[in-house]
Amino acid sequence: MSSNAGSLGDLQRAFQDYLLATSDTFQAAVRDTSKADRLTLLDVYRDGYALRLIEALTTDYPGLMAMAGPADFDHVARAYIAAHPSRHPSVRWYGRGMADFLATTEPYSRTPAAAEMARFEWALGEAFDSPDVTPITADALMALPQEAWETLSFTTLPSLRRLILAFEAPQAWQRREEVEPGDLVVEPAPEPLTWAIWRPDLVSNFRSLDADEAAMLDALVEGRPFPELCEAVAPFTGEEQAPARAAGLLRAMVEGGMIAGFRY
Amino acid sequence: MCAVDIDFGLGLRPEHYEEIAANPGQVSWFEALSENYMVPGGNPLRWLDRLRRDYPMALHGVSLSIGSIDPLDRRYLDELKALAERVQPMWVSDHLCFTGLRGQNMHDLLPLPYTEEALNHVAERVMAVQDHLGRRLVLENVSSYVTYAASELTEWEFIAELAKRADCEILLDVNNVHVSAFNHEFDAMAFLRAMPRERVRQFHLAGHTHKGSHIIDTHDEPIVPDVWTLYAEAVKLFPGVPTMIERDANIPPYAELLAELDEARRIAGTVTRRAA
Repeated sequence: MSSNAGSLGDLQRAFQDYLLATSDTFQAAVRDTSKADRLTLLDVYRDGYALRLIEALTTDYPGLMAMAGPADFDHVARAYIAAHPSRHPSVRWYGRGMADFLATTEPYSRTPAAAEMARFEWALGEAFDSPDVTPITADALMALPQEAWETLSFTTLPSLRRLILAFEAPQAWQRREEVEPGDLVVEPAPEPLTWAIWRPDLVSNFRSLDADEAAMLDALVEGRPFPELCEAVAPFTGEEQAPARAAGLLRAMVEGGMIAGFRY
Repeated sequence: MCAVDIDFGLGLRPEHYEEIAANPGQVSWFEALSENYMVPGGNPLRWLDRLRRDYPMALHGVSLSIGSIDPLDRRYLDELKALAERVQPMWVSDHLCFTGLRGQNMHDLLPLPYTEEALNHVAERVMAVQDHLGRRLVLENVSSYVTYAASELTEWEFIAELAKRADCEILLDVNNVHVSAFNHEFDAMAFLRAMPRERVRQFHLAGHTHKGSHIIDTHDEPIVPDVWTLYAEAVKLFPGVPTMIERDANIPPYAELLAELDEARRIAGTVTRRAA
């Protein structure tokens, strides 16, 4: 082997640095052909790197695309790619850091609705890929003896995600295909709202939660027994109404397919 | 599972799940992209389990990075092994390439220099992977766009020697042979003839994008006449090897892929009859 050739490691490092556009030394390691010069051929790889990742981000963030439009989305995507080399075997997980990137990077951080849309869309994707668990039905709870409710606690579906959003990102997301790319407007919410995202069967569901419902779900996810779920609701309803309200909220969660199991 | 021949298969695409279940047409097996099913749960796995009840499958990955100087990704290998246990595939394949180093992934199938150093390195890793998975690995020749000045062997010498040293098998991508032969200006037939017959486990057929001075392996077009011609030669050299059509982008209706598979069947049938 020629002493100038470089080891396998040298060549791989140079190739990767070429794709990341941090060095051009790899050009010296490859040949022109009679039909094409080496730069044209190397560009297939260098351009392909960004294009593949942009494709993954486009798949994951259609709402963001609808807000930004293709040119601005491309700009954001390239900035994200420059800041975030992929570290996972599957491109499926590449876009995980987008919401944090938008929230902390100028100029995107000046549009907080963008980070919230990204957070919402990523949560939808996570729910989609979560393990499949069949939720319990209301019948299962109706059959319980009265005393069980003193210690009754619950587990939620692995797909359940909760987000507090100051903007109406979920509502806008539902309109994403009704507007031209770049024209999706995301309004601020009257006040920050908790949203639940979960997948009881094949399709991901999402809805906003009332304040007492959000507080109760916090306690439920922590594994608190039913009496403490009532306590979580009491500041909103008063002590007297809390059990009935908690029971009603629980029923809605069960019927909505959020609850995976219980024990007492 | 019905007893069908394994000769002609298609890639398992999410766009076609419903159609395959309802109206599969004449297809014997499917190739599932491993990474698509290395998720905790959800619809893709449900479909995989359901369709696997009726069809033999092969698992085909893109992230093994067998040629990288980074250590083997044990977590990826564990997940792949678990998926293979679930699917019980006919074989598990990936590509002869590297996908990145320093813990980074370029999500591309980057070619290796064909050197003795690379050969030793890859052979050792293939044997380690085969031990880990408890089965032989099948490695696919990639399309490539650059020729390393450092290469000491031809690509086909490298592959043949690797298969022998590591006792692994070859997924012969006929389109990739055509693409690389054009890009690197070598004789595609020399490549085919150099493959050890007993180690060719499967064929891929696919389309590409011709740029005039070079061809890019886009897998998003129908198979072109030159590749069909090369396929006929491959069938002559390696009779009985299962064939599968790959389409990764610009996915057409399922019926179009079935029609292309019929063409592969027709060509292979013609070649086989002439040889008889």
